[in-house]
Parts: sequence; C-alpha cells; structure tokens
Amino acid sequence: MKPFEHHSPNSLEQAFDLITQDDNNSYYYAGGTDINLQLKSGILAAESLISLKNLSELKGIEYKENNGLKLGALTTLRELQRTKTIYNHYPALSQAAGLMASEQIRSFATLGGNLCNAAPSADLAPPLIALGAIATISSKFGEHKVPIEDFFLGPGETVLEEGEILMQITVPPPNGETLFIKHTPRMFMDISVVCIAIRLLMNNGICNEIRIALGAVAPVPLRAVNAEAELAAQPFSSNNISRAAQIAAEECSPINDIRGTAAYRRRMIEVLVRRGLSSLNENYSKV
Amino acid sequence: MTKITSSIIGERLPKLDAPSKALGEATYGHDVRLPGMLQGRILYSDYPSARIINIDITRAIKVTGVKAILTAEDNPPTRFGYGKDNTPFKGQVVRSMRDEVAGVVAVDQYAAEEALSLIKVDYEPLLSIFTAKAAMEEGAPLIHPEHGSNLFHAYNYNHGDIEKGLAESDVVVETSFRLPYVSHACMETSVIIAQFDHRGQLTLWSTTQIPSLLQRDLSEALGIPGNKIRIIQTTIGGAFGRGLDIYPYEPIAALMALKVGKPVRIAFSRQEEFLAAPVRQPVEVSVRAGANQAGILTFRDVNATLDIGAYVSWGSVTPLVMMETTASLYRIPHVNFKADCVYTNNPVTGAVRGYGNPQSTFFVETVMDQLAVELDIDPVEFRLRNSNLPNTETPQGLIITSCGMQECLEAVFARADKESDAKNHIYKDLNLRNKGIHDSTKDNYLKRGIGFATTLNVGGGARIYRSDGCGATVKVDDFGHVTLITGATEIGQGSETVLAQIVAKTLGVKFGDVAVINSDTDVKPWDVGVHASRTTFIAGNAARIASLDARDQIFETAAEILETNPSELVSREGLIMIRENEQRSESLERVVRRRHFQEGGKVVIGEGWYDPPTEQVDKNTYKGNISAAYGFGAQMAEVEVDIETGMVRVIRLVCANDVGLAINPMAVEGQIEGGAQMGLGYALTEELIVKDGEVLNPHFSDYRLFTSADMPDIETIIVETDDPEGPFGAKGVGEMGGTPTAAAIANAVFDAVGVRITELPITPERLLAALDNN
Ligand SMILES: Cc1cc2nc3c(=O)[nH]c(=O)nc-3n(C[C@H](O)[C@H](O)[C@H](O)COP(=O)(O)OP(=O)(O)OC[C@H]3O[C@@H](n4cnc5c(N)ncnc54)[C@H](O)[C@@H]3O)c2cc1C
Repeated sequence: MKPFEHHSPNSLEQAFDLITQDDNNSYYYAGGTDINLQLKSGILAAESLISLKNLSELKGIEYKENNGLKLGALTTLRELQRTKTIYNHYPALSQAAGLMASEQIRSFATLGGNLCNAAPSADLAPPLIALGAIATISSKFGEHKVPIEDFFLGPGETVLEEGEILMQITVPPPNGETLFIKHTPRMFMDISVVCIAIRLLMNNGICNEIRIALGAVAPVPLRAVNAEAELAAQPFSSNNISRAAQIAAEECSPINDIRGTAAYRRRMIEVLVRRGLSSLNENYSKV
Repeated sequence: MTKITSSIIGERLPKLDAPSKALGEATYGHDVRLPGMLQGRILYSDYPSARIINIDITRAIKVTGVKAILTAEDNPPTRFGYGKDNTPFKGQVVRSMRDEVAGVVAVDQYAAEEALSLIKVDYEPLLSIFTAKAAMEEGAPLIHPEHGSNLFHAYNYNHGDIEKGLAESDVVVETSFRLPYVSHACMETSVIIAQFDHRGQLTLWSTTQIPSLLQRDLSEALGIPGNKIRIIQTTIGGAFGRGLDIYPYEPIAALMALKVGKPVRIAFSRQEEFLAAPVRQPVEVSVRAGANQAGILTFRDVNATLDIGAYVSWGSVTPLVMMETTASLYRIPHVNFKADCVYTNNPVTGAVRGYGNPQSTFFVETVMDQLAVELDIDPVEFRLRNSNLPNTETPQGLIITSCGMQECLEAVFARADKESDAKNHIYKDLNLRNKGIHDSTKDNYLKRGIGFATTLNVGGGARIYRSDGCGATVKVDDFGHVTLITGATEIGQGSETVLAQIVAKTLGVKFGDVAVINSDTDVKPWDVGVHASRTTFIAGNAARIASLDARDQIFETAAEILETNPSELVSREGLIMIRENEQRSESLERVVRRRHFQEGGKVVIGEGWYDPPTEQVDKNTYKGNISAAYGFGAQMAEVEVDIETGMVRVIRLVCANDVGLAINPMAVEGQIEGGAQMGLGYALTEELIVKDGEVLNPHFSDYRLFTSADMPDIETIIVETDDPEGPFGAKGVGEMGGTPTAAAIANAVFDAVGVRITELPITPERLLAALDNN
C-alpha cells in the first residue's frame, strides 16, 4: 500500500469539490471494508481518499407505511440487520445483511459501499432488485434516480460518473412475501457462490407479482425476467415452479472461478429458485 | 491445619497464559520493537522455474529510507535444510514461486514495498514440473541436478507377505485417494527479529517450535558458531508445525541485520503467509486391503506419492507417520507401504499438526469402512474385532503398553446409539441461514448418516532425531516461589500450565506458586522441540524428575529441622510435614532459607533430563519402537447431506481419546476441540488451491477455515488408561483431535448417501459429481 492523502469533508459541497471530473486517483469511501483490501493488494492506487462518513445527507433510516423505506447510503449492514422495521417489513433485506461478513465488518460496512463496489456477488443487490428499490445519485450538477436493477454495468462498474455520490436508496412499501437464500460453504464470513432473492405477491392463489433476482451468476446482479414471465398470472404448481427454476438457470451467465464452476452455479440457481418458490408458495397456502 | 482440598493433577485449571493473552498483555513476535529496528521484506520469484539472468537494483536502492538490498551475493557459502538443498537467496535459478530472489531493508514498510516493486529481475523461464508424476518421468528436468533425481526419497516398508494375505482374504477393496495442500493458517503470521550485538552475538526473537535445533540449523546456514546464536521465543500466536524447520526468511533476517548493523524484523503479510509459509504436502495414494469372512484383517498395501515441492523440509519425513498408521493401526499381519517423496516446482511443504497422520488415517479408515460394508459387518464391530490391544507389540515393533482403543470406540458408539438431539441442531442451523424457508420437501433432499474412525498416535514422544529428550530445572527461592525452567515450548497448547501442575504436585506446593520459564536458549536446557504430541509426556517427565531432585534437597534440610528422616516427610501446599504426624511441619520457604543462609549453604535447584526409552526406526526396515507410549482415539460424526446442493453439515462430532490420564481435563478438551476444528476444515473446506505452481487463494476469504459459527457440537470423552511410563500416567493428546475427523465424516457421508468421497476436501461440487456418477 502506498501512502495517500485523507479527507473528511463535512459538507456535500466540499465532498464534490474534492473530486474533479477527470480525477482518476481520488476515491470516496464509506466503511472502507472493500476499498481497504483493494488498496492493500495493489488493485487500487489512490492518491487521496475521501471519507463520506460526516455527511448527514447520507445518513438515516426512515420507514413510512405509504412511502416505504428510505435508507441513507451510509446505513451499515448491522443497522440493516438489526433495525426492527426493516426486519419486520423487508425480512429478505435484513437477512441478506445479517448473513454477510462478520459482526465486526457489519458494523463498518455500508449499504452504499456494497452497491457501489458492484461485485457480482454483492449480497444486498438481489433483495433490493426484488423489492424494486431505487437509488438517488447526486453530484455538483444535480440529482437523478436509477432503479437498482439498472445500477450495475459490470464487475466493479456502476452508472455512477466520476464525482457522483450515491445518496440514498428508496424501497417501495412492502408488497408480498420476500425471501433471500445465500449459498456458501461456510455459515458466515463467506462470499456467495450464488444467492437469490424473490418477492412474490399472490392474490387468490394467482401469482400477481413476482420478481426473481440472482447474485454471483453474471457480470451484474440479475433479474430473471423469463422465469418471472413463466409464473406471471398463474397459480403455482410443482410443474411451473420447476420450469421457472430451469429458465432462471438458463438466464444467468456464470463464470468458473475458485468459488465454483459455472455449471455448479447454474445448477444451484435451479435448486435455490425452485426451493425459494416452493417455500413462498407454501407460505401463501398456509394463510 | 487446613484440610487439603486441591489435588492439582486432574483439575480443570485455566491456562496460565490465558489472561495475558485475553488482556492483550502478551508480547507476540509482531509486538517486539527494538531501538533502531528496520523492516525487511522479501522479493519472491515471478516464475515457478526460471534462470535468473540479471537483477537490477539501481532504482530500488535510491528509494528514500532504503538501507540495503540483498541478493544471493550476500549468501554464506553453505546450504541448509533437511535435505541441504536450500540457500537464503536464490542465485542462478528459481525453483518455485516462493523462491527468495532479493531482500530490502528499509526504515518502514512503505519504503520497503516501493523498493521491492522497483527491483528488476530478468528471468529466462524454464520448463516447470507441477506433478509428482511428471517429475518422475524419464528425461524430466531435474529440480536439484546435484541430487541426481527428482525422487528425494523412497520409503519402502514391509511386514508379512502381501501375497499370503491376499490368498487369505475373502474380500478385497482397492481405492485411490487424493489429498490437498493445507495451510497452518496461524493467527499470527511468520515473524522474526534479528540483532547482532558488538560481540557478534546474534539474538533472534522467533516463533520457532525447535529453539535448540534452530540454533544448530542457523549456525549451519550462516556459518556462525552455535554458541553465538541466542533464540528468544516470543509468545507464539499459533504454530501447528509451522515452526518445525528452518526457513529462508530466518537466515535472511540475520543476513540483513549483519549487513546494516541494526536489528531487522521480517513480518509476513497474510498473503505472504499463504504464499511462502510451508504447507501440508498433497498426497496421491492407492490402497488395497483385505479381510476374511470372520471379519479379521488380512493385509494392507499402500502406495503413496508425496509432492514435497521445490525444497525438502522435515515435512518430507511424514511418510514415517503414514507408515505407522498403515502398519499398526489395527492388528494386521501383512503390510506393504511405499511412499515416494518427489521434488516439483510447487510450493515447499512442511509439517502440519498430525504430521502425515490425518492423511493416512483418512485412507486407512475409509478402506476399513469399505471392508466392513463388503463383509456386511457393522463398522464398529469390525473395528473392535481388529482393534489394537494393551501390552502387545505390533509387527512394526511398536510396543503398545496402555491402550484404550476399544473403550474409545465403545464410548463414541454408545453416544451414537442413543437418540440424539441432533435434529434440533440442524434445524437451528438452517433457520439461522434461511429464515422463513419452510419447505415441506426438505426430507427428500436432506439425508442423515453417521460414520466412525479411530486413530493411533505417538503419545510418548517420537524419536525421529537422535535425542528425544528434554531438560528441566526447578528452582525454589527464599520466598517459596518455584520456577520451572524447561526446554519445552508453549505454543498455545497449554504446556506451561500442565508442567506447572506436575511441578506443583511433585514438589507439594500450590499451583499458583509455580512460574514457568521456557523461552530463551541462553536460559533453558535442550529440548528437541514441540512436536509429536510429546511435551506433556517428555517435558512432563523431565519436570517431574527435576522436582523430585529439588524435593530431595528440601527434604534433606527439613528432616534436620524436624529431626526425622527425609523418607518420613511429605509435602503439600508449601508445607513439609511428617507423614505420620502432620502437625509437625515446617514451611517450604523457611526450609529453603535455612538451607541457604548457613555456612556452606546451598540454594535449591533440582535438575531433570528425560529421554524416553525408545529407538529410532531402522534405516532400512523402518521398524522400531519410536515412542514410549501410544495414544488412541475414536470419533463418530453425524452429518446431514443436501443431495441437491452437495452441502455436508456436520451436526455432531463425538471424540473419545485415550490420554492415559488427563492432568488437566479442560486442556485436554481444548486440544481435542482445536484438533477437531482443523480436522473438520481438512474434511470439508480447507484447500490451498495451487495451479501451475501458483497459490490461487492466498487469503482467508477463499481459504476457508471452520469458523466458530460453522463448528458443530463437539462432545469429548476422556478415556483414562494410566500409562506406566507417562507422568502421573499421562500420554500425549496434541494431535489426535484432528486425525480421524476427515475419515469419520467421509464415512458418515457414505452412510447418508451411499457414495465414497476419496478426495479432500469434500466440497459440494465434488460430492454432487460423485452423486451424479452413482
Ligand atoms: C471479511 C469480509 C467479508 C465480507 N463479506 C461480504 C459478504 O458476505 N457479502 C458481500 O456482498 N460483501 C461482503 N464483503 C464486502 C464488503 O464488506 C461489502 O461490500 C460492504 O458493504 C462494503 O461497504 P463499505 O462501506 O465498507 O465500502 P467501501 O470500501 O467504503 O467502498 C466500496 C466502494 O464503493 C464506493 N462508495 C462507497 N460509498 C459510496 C457512496 N455513497 N457513493 C459513491 N461511492 C461510494 C467506494 O469508492 C468504493 O469503491 C466482505 C468484506 C470483508 C472484508
């Protein structure tokens, strides 16, 4: 690791001013749990690091029944895991956060960092995609909004332009049942080999809304739209559940790496999507 | 007189060093700071095999803060290591990606790192060899031409007659196994500080497990007389066999300190630890074994190939242990064992806890299970029929005295038999992971099984070096404070505590009055090292002998004071009293003062040296009684296999161990649980992935140790057999906790889903592939 400058701006303006449009060697950071490793391993050579931690605009958790959930980008994984309203209304999101890393890391690591780091295996992405969450992005030149499902461009790449800051994530009011499954050899402290999140809204035994999001099986966290289409406006049966699971497996484009082969990942998507759909369906049939 | 309640031996006493570690008071190697100390860093090779054409340091040496750059030109003319095939820096050729090419000494890590990146090395890549098979082919390039062959050593053991055994067999099984690289993954990475003083005396602050041998090894590596080398062992943050050898970074630190005239510290980064510290050697083995209809073993025939990497370490004598498991675990009349230790351009391997035994127990115990299935005999019954027995000699020459193998098997079996609460555990775990998943089809894809394995380990030292001894001194001061100075090394296993218990009991003082000094070669007597589960047994006996000597001195003076014979005296909790009349007593400190402060007075210093009554194995036949006692154990694993994902969850692990006598049951449990943690990782998750000589997962995110969250309930059962030679009847237990684990788990997987996994770790993908093929 090379020595670098460190800034802790106290206002958004200062933060914006510290990164110019064509500055390639200054980086914002929040919890530092991703960037620190990149600096240490030499993947990243920073001349200056800019902490976002003092920016009040990036803080706060707010839940309203009609508007849903507003999460500041600095919300920590621990807060996602432990905040009662999140746990009660968005269990899949809370669980995804709770299964990440360790207690110590979860106390530092942030929601914004997980999304902006844009690992294909970022665990918060699938639940947020399934929930239809939206990102608010700001820069000197103004603010714009992007659905999380369109936020990622490739491994480590997002729609953020140089000097832009992810401010906030808004999640629509809860609508249906959600579920998150993370597949890893270890219980905790493990990066997803694959993970999935599903949101299902059933009305009178008919699938009214379904969103299936997949992690670690493509360059970006992915929505399995064809699998969703297979199930839309129908009652669930073991047949169409299995078919949808197969389609989801076909929709992804995993790679071989030391955590798993592409074939295994594809196969796990099929297993987990099938199990997830069956489980949600059973929840509905119970009520 | 107060009633004596504490018996010290057999008590669950907390470890002496635990509070200082928990409170951050302990000084680990990474904590040592000396005035003027500089940082040393090592540049490793870019190629697994290449000729070094040129090393250009002109830019690197100009970096501000850089004090010196060293290369092979700074090497002493000697070679070092078990195979005398190593040098600190490599000059003409590199033979692996961990080869040390140059070293930087600088005022801090930043300067050192920048200089490392500016050293320009021109290589001419050479043909590399990444498998033992390729290394043994005709015409394969020689990794060490001076050795004449890539075969470093071939072990060839035999007793009985395999053909005869085959003829007597009603069933025969034949299976091949592949075992992975694993790392010690010590919490504290490798670290050393070297300092030369004005007299040319070299002092090293080190985490070695073999201080006395390292003195000798470094003397050889550096061309400095051994009496000029002092080794101070810091608090050691994990060893597990990593410290059983000399490694290049140690003489490199000394060479750096010599060159700059300042103390130099080399501390590995975590990545460097995975890349450059030694690893357990991968093994490929084929095993053939038979039994007759009566369920009695007839023969075992093992052919192993070990990839030892580019240099030899003590780790390449692990076949001696594999051989022991093969020849002597269970009573077996006909055995062949062959092992080739082969040089390759892969990472250098060393010794890891168990020293070959986790490997051999895995293949031997898997094959035992296969035979039981073929014979249609209950696997526990089959093992009992062939079990080792007390007061027997194995054809290999192991003299087994105390032996609780059958008790261990029966104890774990008894726990398996009862309806366990295991179901609750698994669902608790699943709930944690997948809250909200209530899938009624679960029973279709989650399959349960149980499996067994036993283990045989040296438990009374292991004479792999010409001396297996340890020295001890017991000093009692004027205040009744007792100091044990022992050759033994504390590596977190609890030896300080157990040795203090032995001294306290023997001398008759309170446990809290005994301090242990064990970390400085200028002070402590010789010891061969902390390995082979030997410390409680060997250093314990030495401490006992020294305590008895000190006690004799004390009793001599006390007898004068109490006007009786020394033989009439007993001592407890710091009081010396007459056995038949305990009212007549004198305190230890007064006795010591009386002895000291008189004309011609003496201080109380007891001496002890214990070298067990054992022999090195014969150079040709490999037979002989290597240990003064043998430890036994059995484990039962209960697993749940997800047949759709290939995930294996261990729900329970029941471990029974014959430890002779548990001097400190809590410490014994700690050793078993810690061993099991390593065994679980070996079975299911740990693998250093090496491709084309390169380590692909040099970090904890992808080198998966079992974390506390992954640990199943470990139930430990202590079996006591009162060993005749051990201190208070104790035997070693340091390695047994992990040796049978992988086999027990693999056997449980078979029980659950009917497939044999013969390649470790049992990853979900491997298991799924095996299920597909079934
Ligand atoms: C031991 C360990 C275990 C882990 N386990 C998991 C796991 O199980 N699952 C998982 O998904 N991840 C895991 N991670 C990765 C990491 O902890 C998470 O991705 C975390 O959420 C990152 O947040 P951070 O605040 O620390 O990010 P930082 O390191 O601070 O930042 C990451 C990146 O995002 C950018 N950034 C951060 N905030 C903003 C913002 N508001 N606007 C613009 N850019 C921003 C930074 O410039 C940087 O490029 C693990 C990491 C470690 C060290």
